[in-house]
Amino acid sequence: MSEMDVILEAEERPRTGLWPFWRRAYAKGDPLPAFPAPASRAYRFDEGDPLPEEYKALLIRMLRHEGERAGNKSFLGLMASCLDIAETLFPTREAKVLKAEYLAEELKHAIMFHRLAMGLELDFALRDVPYAHYSFHLPRESWADDALFHFFVDLNGAFHARDWRESSYVPLAKMSATVERDELGHSEMGYHFLQRICESPRGKAVVQHLLGKWYPAALDMFGRSDSPNVPKFIGWGLKSVGNAEIRDAYKTYVDGKLLTLGLDLPDERANRKFL
Amino acid sequence: MSTIVEEIRQAYAAAGITLDQPSSFGTYYRLLCAGCGRVLGQVGDKLLPGMAAEIVDGQRDLYASGLLGCPCGHQRTHPGG
Repeated sequence: MSEMDVILEAEERPRTGLWPFWRRAYAKGDPLPAFPAPASRAYRFDEGDPLPEEYKALLIRMLRHEGERAGNKSFLGLMASCLDIAETLFPTREAKVLKAEYLAEELKHAIMFHRLAMGLELDFALRDVPYAHYSFHLPRESWADDALFHFFVDLNGAFHARDWRESSYVPLAKMSATVERDELGHSEMGYHFLQRICESPRGKAVVQHLLGKWYPAALDMFGRSDSPNVPKFIGWGLKSVGNAEIRDAYKTYVDGKLLTLGLDLPDERANRKFL
Repeated sequence: MSTIVEEIRQAYAAAGITLDQPSSFGTYYRLLCAGCGRVLGQVGDKLLPGMAAEIVDGQRDLYASGLLGCPCGHQRTHPGG
């Protein structure tokens, strides 16, 4: 049994009645939309294969944005901020324990992406890459803020991981299903918290107000619809869908969940920075 | 201190909240109640220009009604809060 198998086996044994959240979500059927298969499967590269210069640059660019690497101290900084928030803002022991499970799983991803980075470019494995997108830096001043952060931001990761299932880079395709289900579970943890918070009119009012901060940021995370790099990513088989398509699918998903909570949807163009 | 961090510091000062020293690798900062020092949250240093003031201003009603901010009530009574 490999060291990663030991980790995976341990987390298969739930210790809270709720964790892992992905289990119930997938038990009801595939929770995420299917993306079209890539138009071309002309490329397929495994670890150790010589990579075309442009391909390697795009792959590293994509992984820089992903960020979950053990050697990326800015990722560890984000995790530390999560610990701080759980310690100071979370209202119950149950919520804190769930957050601890979340952190453990993100650190597992940090190991997985570290292995991938080591097989790609040694210097990249230790590169500090602060999250560039503002959504990772929005202030979290309440349990509701943190719940919205997880619901929206981790779900973005799940959608991208879904797209990696067909990636032309074999090591990424291999780990995509695990990352997808975990990130979907993290989003479901956020949604679970939102359900608890929205049980009271006071909590629901806070969430409704804070949606004005998080909803545009979540949609902005997919980048500009006319990004000139997207055709290159698709051409090399590193992505299968464009920014607008994946954003639309994501919006349909989150809108349904928000309406179920009885929340009003913000104007999708209000406060957007990247259309 | 970067321009954005200074913007964040000023925006929160207007609401009665102090920006602490960076808490982890210079990227994330604790938000502290200017009245009692309690930790109120975290903010990162990659907000876009003008965004911090926009966010704090947008949360003014939440601070005023006590739905956000410190249990000690400092942000409710703070002139800018």
